[in-house]
Amino acid sequence: MSNPIDDTQKPGVCMTRRAFLFGGSAAVVSTVLLPGLPGLDSKALAAEVARYPRKLIGKLSALKLNSPHKFNYPDEYQNSNSLLFRLDALAGGGIGPDQNIVAFNALCTHMGGSLEGPGAFSAPDQALGPCPLHQTSFDLTRHGMVIGGHATESLPQVLLELEGDDIYAVGMLGLIYGRFDNLNTG
Amino acid sequence: MSKQAKDSQPFYQPEDQIPLPPKDADVITTCCDYCVMACGFKVYRWPVGAPSGGPKRDQNALGLNYPLRPGQGGWVGPNQYTQGKWNGKMHHIAVVGDHKSRVVNVGGGHSIRGGCIAQKVYNPQKPTQDRLQHPMLRINDLLMPVTWDFALDIAAEVSNHVIKTHGESAWAMKYFSYQYFENTYALTKLALKAINSPAVAHHDHPSFVNSAPGWVDIGYDIFGASHEDFALADCLLISGTDPFETKTTLWNHWILKGINGNHTKVIMVNPRRTAGVAYAEKHGGLHLDIVPGSDTAVHMAIERVIVENGWEDAEFIKKHVANQWETDSGFGQGTRNTPWQWRTTWGKFQVKGFEDWKQWLLAQEESKVEVAAKIAGIDPQKIYLAAQMMAKPKANGERVKTSICIEKGNYWSNNYLNTASIGTLGVILGCGGRPGQIMTRLGGHQRGGVSGGKYPTWKSPYKVPGRRRHRLDLDRWLEDGHVRFAYVVGTTWIQAMPGSSALEDAFKKLTKFNPHQVRSFDKQTIIDTLKRRVDSGGMVIANQDIYLRDPIGNQYADLVFPAAGWGEEDFTRANSERRVRLYGKFCDAPGEAMPDWKIAASLAKKMGFKGFDWKDSNEVFEETCRFSRGSRKDYNAIRVVARRKGMRAHDFLRGFGTKGLQAPLLLDGDRIVQTKRLHDYNRKDIPDSGPEATTVHNKRLLAFKTQTGKLNLVKSPWKLWADFYEFMQPKGDELWVTNGRINELWESGFDDYERRPYTQQRWPMNFIEIHPADALARGIESGDLVAVESRRVPVQKNFNLGVKSDDMWFSGLMKDGHIELVSGAYSAIAMVTPAIKQGVAFSEFLKPSMPANVITPRVPDPITMNYRYKIASARVTRIGESTFKHSFSQMSFKRRDIT
Repeated sequence: MSNPIDDTQKPGVCMTRRAFLFGGSAAVVSTVLLPGLPGLDSKALAAEVARYPRKLIGKLSALKLNSPHKFNYPDEYQNSNSLLFRLDALAGGGIGPDQNIVAFNALCTHMGGSLEGPGAFSAPDQALGPCPLHQTSFDLTRHGMVIGGHATESLPQVLLELEGDDIYAVGMLGLIYGRFDNLNTG
Repeated sequence: MSKQAKDSQPFYQPEDQIPLPPKDADVITTCCDYCVMACGFKVYRWPVGAPSGGPKRDQNALGLNYPLRPGQGGWVGPNQYTQGKWNGKMHHIAVVGDHKSRVVNVGGGHSIRGGCIAQKVYNPQKPTQDRLQHPMLRINDLLMPVTWDFALDIAAEVSNHVIKTHGESAWAMKYFSYQYFENTYALTKLALKAINSPAVAHHDHPSFVNSAPGWVDIGYDIFGASHEDFALADCLLISGTDPFETKTTLWNHWILKGINGNHTKVIMVNPRRTAGVAYAEKHGGLHLDIVPGSDTAVHMAIERVIVENGWEDAEFIKKHVANQWETDSGFGQGTRNTPWQWRTTWGKFQVKGFEDWKQWLLAQEESKVEVAAKIAGIDPQKIYLAAQMMAKPKANGERVKTSICIEKGNYWSNNYLNTASIGTLGVILGCGGRPGQIMTRLGGHQRGGVSGGKYPTWKSPYKVPGRRRHRLDLDRWLEDGHVRFAYVVGTTWIQAMPGSSALEDAFKKLTKFNPHQVRSFDKQTIIDTLKRRVDSGGMVIANQDIYLRDPIGNQYADLVFPAAGWGEEDFTRANSERRVRLYGKFCDAPGEAMPDWKIAASLAKKMGFKGFDWKDSNEVFEETCRFSRGSRKDYNAIRVVARRKGMRAHDFLRGFGTKGLQAPLLLDGDRIVQTKRLHDYNRKDIPDSGPEATTVHNKRLLAFKTQTGKLNLVKSPWKLWADFYEFMQPKGDELWVTNGRINELWESGFDDYERRPYTQQRWPMNFIEIHPADALARGIESGDLVAVESRRVPVQKNFNLGVKSDDMWFSGLMKDGHIELVSGAYSAIAMVTPAIKQGVAFSEFLKPSMPANVITPRVPDPITMNYRYKIASARVTRIGESTFKHSFSQMSFKRRDIT
C-alpha cells in the first residue's frame, strides 16, 4: 500500500466510553473488559475502537503468505511503523477465511528496537524477533505475546476488519513503545 | 485446532494510554527488588487528582520528549505504572529504569521482571490487594486477625518456653539470606546472638553454608568481578545458567558489548539451548550440551587438554599459586571444626602445588577426553575446542583473556567437585583479579546479608568421620522432631527444599495432626495449649511474609506476621559487583504490615532481649556497618563519613543515587575509595591507612582469599560423586528432569506467578521442556498436561554419626539405612522443543502449586551440605490435553532459541 486511504474520523470528536473512563485524572482502575476484541465479525468493539481511526491498509487478494506488509497506524508519526501478516497458521484475532491475517506495531516493547528489518520475521515459527537490540521475540499467533526476552508488554496488536477484499485497521490493543497515548504524538 | 482464532482475546489487556509524571512529581531512587544485578530505577510519584505531565521534556519529570526514539530508555508503559498510597492518599506511581544510569543497567535497561516491578506495589484495586495486612492467629484451623501485641506475646511466651524446656536448638529460624542488610541483621541478631541457636538456615540451603565451597578452598571470592569485565574478556565460560534469561542486564549491556564490540567468544554449559546459547553460537561461541551432573569430568578433560599442550598460564601459576610449603601453611592448621579446615585436612583434596596436581589430573580416568565426553553425552571435539578457545595462545603469542562464571546449574548438581574443578580450571588459566580475566558467580538474589551474630557450629550434633562437624541440617532436624518453634521468614519452606513431599508430611504431623490446637481467644489458654503442643513433641510455626503462602502459612502456621518490603521502608543492599545502594521508601505498607527488622526486634524485646531498641531502619543500618568490615561488601566507611558530616548513614548513601558505592570501601581521609574488582594484585590506589584504619585488613583486595594470599589447587576425585550419580541416573523409561529459572520468572516468583496478569498469560502453570524424540515415545505433544513422577526420591533421614571413612557417602548411607526412598509427583504443561537435550527434561523450579522439588533428592553433598537440586530422574507420562493446547490467549509453545 503506497497510498493508504485514510477515512479516519478524527479521534476525540466524541467522548467515548473509554475516554470517559480514562479521561482526566480519575483513578485508573484495572483494564476495562470490552465486549469482543480483535477480529470481530461485527463492528461491536465500540468503546475500544471508537477512539481510533479506521484506515484501509491493504487488500486480502494482494497479501502474500509470510510476506510482511508495512503500513503506519494509527497515524504517520514516529513509532507508528506496523506490519500486516498473512501467516501460515491460525492466529489469535486473525481475520480472513483462514483466520491468519494479523497486524502488529513493529517496535519492540522493551526498548523500541525495530522489528521491520530483514530476518526479524521467522516464518516457520510465526514469530517476530529476536529484536536486534536485546533479542526479545514475540508470538504472532498469540496476540504478540513474548516468547522469550525482556519486553514488558505484548507487541501491540492492530485490530483488523475485513470488508469485501479491503483490510481495515480499526484499533489497537496495548501501548506503542515510546508513546504515552497511542493517539497523542505531542 | 480450534477455529475460534478470530474471536480470541488476549488474557492480558493493557491500557493504551498512561499518565506521565508532571514536572513537580516526587522522584525517589531505588533499585529493582529481584535479581542480583539490581538495576537502578527511579520512582515518580504524584497525587491522584493533580495534573499529569505533558509530552514535552519541560512538561514531565522524566525530562524526555515523547514519543521516545527507538532504543531510548525511560518509557512509562502500562507495566511501569500503578497507583498506591502515600501518607494515606492515593498517588500515581511510575517505576522506570533510570535512563541516566551509567552503571549496571546503562541507559535505563531492564529485564521483563524488573521492568514490571511497579506491579509489585500494593494497590488495593490490583492483584496485589491480597497482601497480608494484619497479624493472624490460627484458631479452630482458620487464620483470624489479632493485634500485634496479642500475636507477639504468644510467639514470645512459646519461644521462651521452648528455649527453657527443650534448649535453644529447638528454636529454629528459616529465613531469606538476601532481603536487605537491616532485616537480615536484625533476624540473625535475634537467632544467632540473642538465642544462639544452631537451628538456623537460609532459604536455599539445609544449613548455614557456602554455595561455592570449592572456591573457598581455592581462594576465589564468589563476587570478585566488575560488570565491565564481561565486556573485556576474549572468552567467557558460562556454566549452569544463561545470563540472557537470568541476569538480563548483564547480558544486554555488558556481555553483548563484549560479543559485538570485542568479539568475545562465549562458551555455554547447559543442557538447554536457550536464546543466549543460540546467540553465542551464532557469534562464534560454543554450546557444551552436557547431561546434568557431568560437569566435573568435562572440566577435568578440558584441563587435561590444556596442560598436555602446555597452554596453562605458567607465569601466573608461578606467582600466584601456592607451592607445597605454602599449601601446608594455608591448609595445615590441624583438624579444627570449621567446614573448610576439615575439608582440606582430609587429604582427599589437598595437593603439593601445580606439578603434583597435574600428575594427579593426568592419572584420572575421567579426565580423558573420550571418557568425559561419554559421561557428559557430548561430542569429544567440543572439549578440544573449548580448551583451544579458552587457553590456546593467540598467533602473536599473547594469552587469551578468559573469564569463568558459574551459577546454580553448575554448583547445585555436584556442589564441591564442580566448584573445585572449575575453580582449578580458572587457576591454570590465570583467572582472577585482572580486567576481563575474572572468576565469579553470576548470582541469584541480591547480596543483602549481614550477620548479627556468629553461627554456633559447635552446637550442631551432625558429625562426619574424624572429629569433623557439619552445621545443623535444619530439614533433617525438623523431620526428626527436634524443632519445637519455627520462625519462618520470607521463604516458601517446603517447596523450596528438595524431596518436598516428605518434608511436608513432617510439617503436617508436627502441627496439624498434633492434638493440641487453639480453640479459644483467651491469650493464656492459647499459650498453654501451644506449650502442651511443643511438650508433646509437636511444633509451633510463626510465618512472616508479604503474602499468605501455601502451605507454610496457609495450612501450618499458628501465627502469621505481615511484613512490609521493597518501597515501603528505606533499605540498603549490594549487587553482584558489590555496589551498595539505598532503596528509598516511596509508598505506605498495607494495613499493619511492618518491616521484618521491626517484627524481629519486637519479638526479641518481648522475649526479654536487649539491644533491639532501634527507632528506624537507619539506626539498624548504622549498627550493621561495623559488621561488614573485612567482608567483600565492607561499607563501614559510609557510617564513618556520614558521622563526620553529621548525617544519617542512609541519607549519605541516598546522595549516591542509583550509582551507589562499590565495595569494599576504603577511606583516604574523608574520601571514600571504591573497589572495582577483588584480588586486584595490580591495584595501586589503596590508601596507606588501609581499609578504614589499620585495624581491619581485607586480604582479598590485593590477593587471593587464603592463608598465603595465593591460590590453592585442589583435586576433584570423581569417585566421591560416582555412587550417588549412578543412583540418580534415569532408569527404564525415566528421563533426567532438571529444573531452573527462566527469564520471565526469576527471583520474582512471589510477585509474578500469582499477581501479574502479563506474566500469567505467558506462564499460567509450570511447564516441562521435553525433546521431540522423548515426547514422541511417550505420545506427548506441546500443550499436553503431563505427570512427572518418581517413586525413588532419596531422602536422608535420621541423625547420622559417621565413624568410618565411607559412612557418609551415599552408598554408606544406603547401607546403614539412612536413606529413605519416597515418592514425588507434579503436573506440568509439555513444551516439546529441540532446544533441550534428548534424554533430559526441564521445569521451572518453584511454582508453588506444581513444585519441581517434589522429585529432587534431599541428600545434601556430604562434603559441603549443599543440596543437589538439579539432579533428578522421573517418569513423564501424558495425562491429557491442557486448556492451553488450543488457546490463543495464554502460553506460547514456540521454541525459545530462534536466532
